[in-house]
Amino acid sequence: MDKNLLGYKGVKPVFLIVGFLTLVQSLSILLLAKWLAEVISALFAGEPLKEQWGIALLFLLAFLVRHACAMLMSHVSYRFAEATGSSMRKEMMDKLFQLGPRMVGDRGTGNLVTLVLEGVTKFRTYLELIIPRMVGMSVTPVLLLLYIFTQDTTSGIILTVTMPIIIVFMILIGLTARKQMDRQLKSYRTLSNHFVDSLRGLETLKFLGRSRSHSESIAAVSDRYRSATMRTLRVAFLSSFALDFFTMLSVASVAVSLGLRLVNDQMTLVTGLTILILAPEYFLPVRLVGADFHATLDGKEAGEAMKSIIDRDTVKAEVLDRSVSSTGSVFDWHKDSELILNDVGVDYEEGGHSSLAGINLKVTGARKVGIIGESGAGKSTLVDILGGFLHPTSGNITVNGTHVSALTDEEWRKQTSYIPQRPYIFSGTLADNVRFYYPDASMDEVSRVVDAAGLSKLVSSLPNGLGEMIGGGGRSLSGGQEQRVALARALLSSRPIMLLDEPTAHLDIETEYELKETMLPLFAGKLVFLATHRLHWMIDMDVIIVMHQGQVAEVGTHRELIARKGVYYELIQSQLEGIH
Amino acid sequence: MKREGWFAPYISPYFWRFVLIILLGALTVFSASSLMYTSGFLISKASTPIENILMIYVPIVGVRTFGTSRAVIHYIERLLGHDTILRILSKMRIRLYNILEPQALFLSSRFRTGDILGMLADDIEYLQNVYLRTVFPSVIALLLYAAVVISLGTFDIAFALLMALYILVLVVVLPLISLLFTQKRQREVKQERNSLYQKLTDAVLGMGDWVISGRQAQFVDTYEADEKRVARTDAALRGWARLRMFIGQAIVGVGVVSLLFWAAGQYASGAIAGTLIAAFVLVVFPVADAFLPVSEAVEKIPQYRNSLERLAGVEVDEEHAVAAGLTLDNTAAAAMDVQSVHIQLKNAGYRYGASESEEWSIRDLNLDIPQGKKIAIIGRSGVGKSTLLKVIQGVIKPSVGSAVINGMDAAAYGDRIPSIISVLNQSPHLFDTTVANNIRLGDPKASDEAIKEAGALAKLDTLISSLPEGYNTPVREAGQRFSGGERQRIALARILLQNTPVVVLDEPTVGLDPRTERELLATIFEAMAGKTLVWVTHHLVGAEQMDEVIFMENGSVEMRGTHAELMEREPRYRRLYELDRPAEFLSV
Repeated sequence: MDKNLLGYKGVKPVFLIVGFLTLVQSLSILLLAKWLAEVISALFAGEPLKEQWGIALLFLLAFLVRHACAMLMSHVSYRFAEATGSSMRKEMMDKLFQLGPRMVGDRGTGNLVTLVLEGVTKFRTYLELIIPRMVGMSVTPVLLLLYIFTQDTTSGIILTVTMPIIIVFMILIGLTARKQMDRQLKSYRTLSNHFVDSLRGLETLKFLGRSRSHSESIAAVSDRYRSATMRTLRVAFLSSFALDFFTMLSVASVAVSLGLRLVNDQMTLVTGLTILILAPEYFLPVRLVGADFHATLDGKEAGEAMKSIIDRDTVKAEVLDRSVSSTGSVFDWHKDSELILNDVGVDYEEGGHSSLAGINLKVTGARKVGIIGESGAGKSTLVDILGGFLHPTSGNITVNGTHVSALTDEEWRKQTSYIPQRPYIFSGTLADNVRFYYPDASMDEVSRVVDAAGLSKLVSSLPNGLGEMIGGGGRSLSGGQEQRVALARALLSSRPIMLLDEPTAHLDIETEYELKETMLPLFAGKLVFLATHRLHWMIDMDVIIVMHQGQVAEVGTHRELIARKGVYYELIQSQLEGIH
Repeated sequence: MKREGWFAPYISPYFWRFVLIILLGALTVFSASSLMYTSGFLISKASTPIENILMIYVPIVGVRTFGTSRAVIHYIERLLGHDTILRILSKMRIRLYNILEPQALFLSSRFRTGDILGMLADDIEYLQNVYLRTVFPSVIALLLYAAVVISLGTFDIAFALLMALYILVLVVVLPLISLLFTQKRQREVKQERNSLYQKLTDAVLGMGDWVISGRQAQFVDTYEADEKRVARTDAALRGWARLRMFIGQAIVGVGVVSLLFWAAGQYASGAIAGTLIAAFVLVVFPVADAFLPVSEAVEKIPQYRNSLERLAGVEVDEEHAVAAGLTLDNTAAAAMDVQSVHIQLKNAGYRYGASESEEWSIRDLNLDIPQGKKIAIIGRSGVGKSTLLKVIQGVIKPSVGSAVINGMDAAAYGDRIPSIISVLNQSPHLFDTTVANNIRLGDPKASDEAIKEAGALAKLDTLISSLPEGYNTPVREAGQRFSGGERQRIALARILLQNTPVVVLDEPTVGLDPRTERELLATIFEAMAGKTLVWVTHHLVGAEQMDEVIFMENGSVEMRGTHAELMEREPRYRRLYELDRPAEFLSV
């Protein structure tokens, strides 16, 4: 059924225990049927009540054992599912954080979060159900059928014949339902999303003056959605109908055939009753599988999705020079360090970023490096390589004279502080957010960098000062304030390299101006990479890298580039043109 | 508004359907039970010497009938149930929409975090389970309960009472214990899962920051520790569910034995026929199947409460919004074919909340915008720009001063405003339909020609001709098919079709790169010739095209004038303008 299933750690003992319990359960079902039938037929034959207590209690015992087995099985498989689910999640989380923001961009934040939270739950449900169901399907009906055959061949044949009929019908109906679903999938999806779509677009509808009348459209679409759903359900419910119908019919046929043979004295009442009690039990495992079919299917898919993430390769940065053994000190950045990109390239990835080709760069010591270019020119991809988020697919990098394959190394990242367009503000106090890189920093240090980042006015306006909760569930900060928190963070860490990815483009121009005034002096003594399409930053950069169609078009100072009248010059020209 | 507000009103219009569903549900159990009952009777009867095969003919027919009818009845019951619920869902959706519609323009400021609208829609979907998973099974169980006790009562009242006690444990006692035991834990699990969701979303969004911080492992550890806590509570819940199932089954087992001995006693005393012993005993199992799931059904109640509370919360706020001074006066709406509009604000001020201590969101604003004037408004976030726009659109009435459109209070226009003022904001919503349909929202009566014209004005031609089905290409959910700039152009075509004398631009270029920003603004300005423009902007590109530029700070006007005036007079303005167009750039 699922080839991954046997690969999970600790699955074999679980199979063994569940197998054993199922065996015990099946035996107790046989016994309870037998004993119940015996009591009934004895009483029916007019034997005194007193003598039947013993067997009646045996029946009760068998009955309880049967359900105790079910309880234990469920317990064992839950424990296993929980443990396996957790370890899968842990593995996946570790992998996610190794793969970094690239991966998130490809898969979408919402998808990943849903996969971690709901996917794991679904997968757990699947594991919890699949083992007892598989074992149950393969043990109980076989055992019961064997017993029934020893008692009465006709009933055995009726029951044997029914099983494949049920399975064939269920598969056929399942396929038909699937086909029908697929056929109307597109319109179905639109219909089912229509309401959320309407709510999200409510403001727009209001502006358009259509919001009142749209209520009718919701009614109409809801109605069409209902008809479409009912069309699907009519077919989908048929599969459980078939299951019901054939099991009940089969039980009824067994009962009637038993009756007819009893009339002709071809069998005893005890046997008849036993078989009658066993007949529904014979079908029970199939019914359970049918009932849990969708849950297991969902869970299986979730499991596969998780596995596909876990199995992804992470390419680690390697030292290419034989003479240097560890990456440890290679990445240390100081005043006369040197970083050279040799013919670095990144191939286009599905769903992803712009490709880069033949990037050659040389950066030394503490400098302010501006990276500029139009959207899609490869700015972000270059930033990702410099920040150690992305392993280039070709070329290599020289750091302090040592050749490495990439900068995706913990040691390099520890030299770097990062300020993206939307910095990560987590739910916690302002101080904790500032201490993100260095949780052990003292409050004095925090106050110092908060002042330097220009946050002191905000802090004094907050009722709890530095202890104010911010982020989700707390006070929300404006875009400019978020940038300042990230800045304070970077200052506190005193990491020698600063990476800024489009820090101000989304801000209003006054905030942008003030932030720039704060930032510029703080860049001193650091290696700064600042990627942006806001030209005004460039005047303050020591060197400018101009990106164009995935390649470095020009490198130089502002003056040099202007004098060259190349790509950079054109970029400025186009922005200086007025509108019309 | 009572909590049942989302639940009770749908019972009376569908009362007979509900009755039918419950009857069919009860019949389903009845058929299954009758199959076992008649089967037990049949084989007991058959084992006694009988003169004629016809003696067992009736039970044989019974067995066959019940054997086939259960599946059919159950199938009909499920279809009917789902159809009814989907009808109710449709009503609920309309109701939620009608509650949200009047507050449409306040939604974004009220629900800042999370996708509350998506959640509300999910809540409605979730409420279908109230009926399907809780109400119907419980009512059916109660109905059967009564039927079982009454039918046993006709044989022996004392024994009927004993069985009533057993079933009482199944349908009342166990569910109540379940509810008490699980309520708090379920809430805990739910809350903790919500906070996990928040935490993880934050972390995934801040993945780059985590990777750089070098503390990823730490995050994973704390996250896993939180998950473990949830798992423990969850395990307790599951453990209880298993135990409850076992207790339930044990009661069934004891019930079987009790019934066995009672029937035997009755038979011995000649009160019932011997054939009924097997019949009675075998019927217990299928009947119990109706009682056992009640605990699970009842356990779900606290989960619905969350959804109901959220939905109720929207309504409370609605009253609030109306109380805040939003009165629609449709009678005042005169002839709306105005093509010339004069907007005037005199000393307009507004503050949210009525108390004196509340800060002014805007104050002392004076604006005079005759038809065709173009003004730009700039200021930091939270400076009162959105409030100003709301006042101009008549969505809120100034607390002091006046906002007048063609001599009439702006607020008096109510729902007629969209025929005077159209809006292009930062993220206009594209609906999940074709490009043409999205544009047509501006004017539902527009011909295909008119749509193409609007598209051409918005410079959509090249984009459209690159699409597989031209204007009939679906935009996908929220317009995902297109880039930010393209989405804005489609929205622009839409408001061009709306063809109002006044257009409000609310930071339509945030998030666009400089080239796209420039090109979009050029298109907008060109297409809007002759129209009044109120443009809230975060950059100063294009400010020179405006008749007046207004700088806002703390709710009031800091500086105002034409671009040229401000450039000359205000060093601050000059400084900012140079960020967008550094004059010294080429002169270096």
